[in-house]
Amino acid sequence: MKRFLETGNFAITEGAIMAGCRLFAGYPITPATEIAEAMSKNLPKVGGYYIQAEDECGAMHMAVGAAAGGMKTMTATSGPGFILYADPYGWAIGCEIPIVVLNSQRVGPVSGITGAPGQGEFYNARYPTQGGNYETIVLAPNSAQEAMELTVEAFYLSERFRTPVTILADQLVTDGLEDISIPETDEEKEAMGLRFMDRKVHMGPDFYPATDEIDLPPTVLGKNTGAMCSDWTPTEEGYDIETVEAHHKPSYRMIYKIRNHTDVIARHETLFLDDDPDIIVVSFGTASRTVKTAVKKAREKGLKIGMIRPISLWPFPDELFNKKSTYLSVELDYDGQMVREVERAMPCDSDIHFFGKCGELPTVAELHEIFDKLLKNEPLKPEGWEKEVW
Amino acid sequence: MKDRIEILASGFGGQGVVRLGQIVGVGAVNQGFRVTMLKSHGTEQRGGYVRTQLVLSSEEIDSPLVEDPDYFCVLSSAAYKQFGHMVVDGTILYDPAMVEIDENKTTRQIAIAAKETAVEKLGRPIYANTIMLGALTGATAGLLEKKNMLETMLKIIPKFKEENKKAFELGFSMTTS
Amino acid sequence: MDRLSKKYLRARKIPSTACSGCGLGQCHKALVLALDELEYEVNDVVWGTSIGCAGRQTFATWQGDNFAGTHGRVYAIARGLRLAIPPKMKIILTVGDGDAFGIGFNHLLHAARSNAQMTVLVCDNLGYQSTGGQFGWTTPQGIVTDSSPYGMSEPNWVQPEMDVLAMLKAAGATFLARHVSMDGVALVKSLKKAVQNNGFSLVHTVFPCTTNFAKNALGSRNAVNIFRWVKDHAAPMGEEKHNTLWRTGIYHDASNSRPEFSAALRDSVAEIQRRYQHEGSH
Repeated sequence: MKRFLETGNFAITEGAIMAGCRLFAGYPITPATEIAEAMSKNLPKVGGYYIQAEDECGAMHMAVGAAAGGMKTMTATSGPGFILYADPYGWAIGCEIPIVVLNSQRVGPVSGITGAPGQGEFYNARYPTQGGNYETIVLAPNSAQEAMELTVEAFYLSERFRTPVTILADQLVTDGLEDISIPETDEEKEAMGLRFMDRKVHMGPDFYPATDEIDLPPTVLGKNTGAMCSDWTPTEEGYDIETVEAHHKPSYRMIYKIRNHTDVIARHETLFLDDDPDIIVVSFGTASRTVKTAVKKAREKGLKIGMIRPISLWPFPDELFNKKSTYLSVELDYDGQMVREVERAMPCDSDIHFFGKCGELPTVAELHEIFDKLLKNEPLKPEGWEKEVW
Repeated sequence: MKDRIEILASGFGGQGVVRLGQIVGVGAVNQGFRVTMLKSHGTEQRGGYVRTQLVLSSEEIDSPLVEDPDYFCVLSSAAYKQFGHMVVDGTILYDPAMVEIDENKTTRQIAIAAKETAVEKLGRPIYANTIMLGALTGATAGLLEKKNMLETMLKIIPKFKEENKKAFELGFSMTTS
Repeated sequence: MDRLSKKYLRARKIPSTACSGCGLGQCHKALVLALDELEYEVNDVVWGTSIGCAGRQTFATWQGDNFAGTHGRVYAIARGLRLAIPPKMKIILTVGDGDAFGIGFNHLLHAARSNAQMTVLVCDNLGYQSTGGQFGWTTPQGIVTDSSPYGMSEPNWVQPEMDVLAMLKAAGATFLARHVSMDGVALVKSLKKAVQNNGFSLVHTVFPCTTNFAKNALGSRNAVNIFRWVKDHAAPMGEEKHNTLWRTGIYHDASNSRPEFSAALRDSVAEIQRRYQHEGSH
């Protein structure tokens, strides 16, 4: 085991290379630039390629193009680049090409604050491209160490599901320094729970089965299988077709191969849920770091407060929200994105509240103030708001 | 030992506040601590202060935020004004050449004449940062091990080894003798 | 085309889905002929296509591996793919004028800059015909289209003083040619050279759209008229007439004169790997 004090960016690079990533295509953008830099330095050492593209749209197309040729590939960006991924992301979903995408969220919309954390791409990560008719796999690390581990997991899931997997990080995950343990032996990797899968090649002649089956090798170009992949609605053989009947089959597949196998994807962290807590705090990514400290300290004070942290963010883990309680969604955005999902998933006689910050983490002190208000049934009044929004 | 030690360092850009944090962080990792370190970025860097927030623990660290610093190394008045109020039970190490302190504050405040000593004893103000590192190491009363911190510092700053070593010792003696 | 169809193309895609009388078939046939004359096998080529008439009608015609990319991005896809597939395999792209010179132009220029091996056959029907017939970046001035109902007023990128091939040459392309689809042997010859260049090659080929362009520009869907009109407005370089729009022939041939993108990257990576293993340091 190697131990370093390093950034999440470094950790992610280590995880990717460990998972077999041999091509990274990127475009400089704060706060994900360091990943590109580390990739440009470390990939050639293991025989891998770094490509710096003309823009993010080109970057992800290059990464997907190489993945379509049988390589394990990755790209990383932040919000303004992530929206330019819409085009290739859709291509990869439709062509069922495994690839790993990392989004280190900053404060938006548009350029916003570049060097500060945000979580405004909660829904953007779920719907990274147009047209609908697909499910998305999104993993949300809250530390550099977990970012490394989830990078490995993202490669694994992308192979099993034949689809892109997004790691939804934020500026503090990627820029923050932490002690990171990098496993070196197979035993260490296994002990850390890391899962790996090599790229296999679908030998055709069909392009996809009209089922929800997973663990099918992806179609690979350049192997003389007569492979066909396209952005058109495909027949099962891969020919282009424009009929509603034909479109139903790949749509069904893209939705249900993920929806029907969420057990393979599901990851979460929960704390103090067994005694019917008065408040259950919901958060993901780095916001959950201060939330966890705040919840633990609240417990020390005798307050009945629990915590849910979805790690696999999409498909959204509805099943975690089965207790009647007062839910509090803590997010690094002001518009309250996850609060809608929690409200949808929780028992209908529960309450839902929202606390949002942007560009910095909520402090433990702030969270305790919120808990107190909620326990006294006082309205939450975020600064500058006339009344509680949620 | 407390289950969580919080260290804050802040000053102007270019004073080496991030470097100071990095040395402490790497040194702590070498001692087997779990460590988180946040460094301030972007507009803060061009504005009033640069900030490094370090948390050390023998357990996994949840919040990486410093909200109740055990040690605050402060190298500018702006930083003192901004964060000084956070220190309740902790120790403030300040350079009197750059920081005007609030004398009414009840917390422990130790003047470390880093810049002045650097110029007087080593001929250049750039060693002030290493003096502060030595002083912090001393102030932690063994939490940060002297030998380890010195070695870590020399590894991270490979230039002017003798001067840096001397600077570290000078700082260390300011908080231990 | 029977023998060639059997050898290279998929029965399901013959006859093609193009409109009756469409000149795209001439471009497609010329490319297959060139590959046959070069004695390429089905397995020697990965064939990519773009959005629009040119891409849609040529997708999955090739018996080997095929892909249809997103609009304007096949040049970026091809650069990534180029690194994943065997160096000897050729990437061939059949794309439209809107795809190459409009939405994908930035990617195209960077593909040329990096000299990534791809033979780009731009099948130019002088505008956006699959969406009903809007003007594009090669639509001649004065031409009526659905989105230039008073005549195309903007300049275009085949005018001699702002030729798109000049831009591509400046951007680093190592083989460039221009033709009209009825050029026959000359077109096949250029395509052969294009494929033989281990670098970025582009052959710009104007073909007649009998449906939308012909109807809007000439007032008739009569195939004979539009074929004659295209042919009349083309002339080999150096033999231009007063009404020449397309100066045909090989515009620039620096084939195999500079390193190919993936080859250069492979070499560089191999060198770094050697050095790294030799030093054995982190």
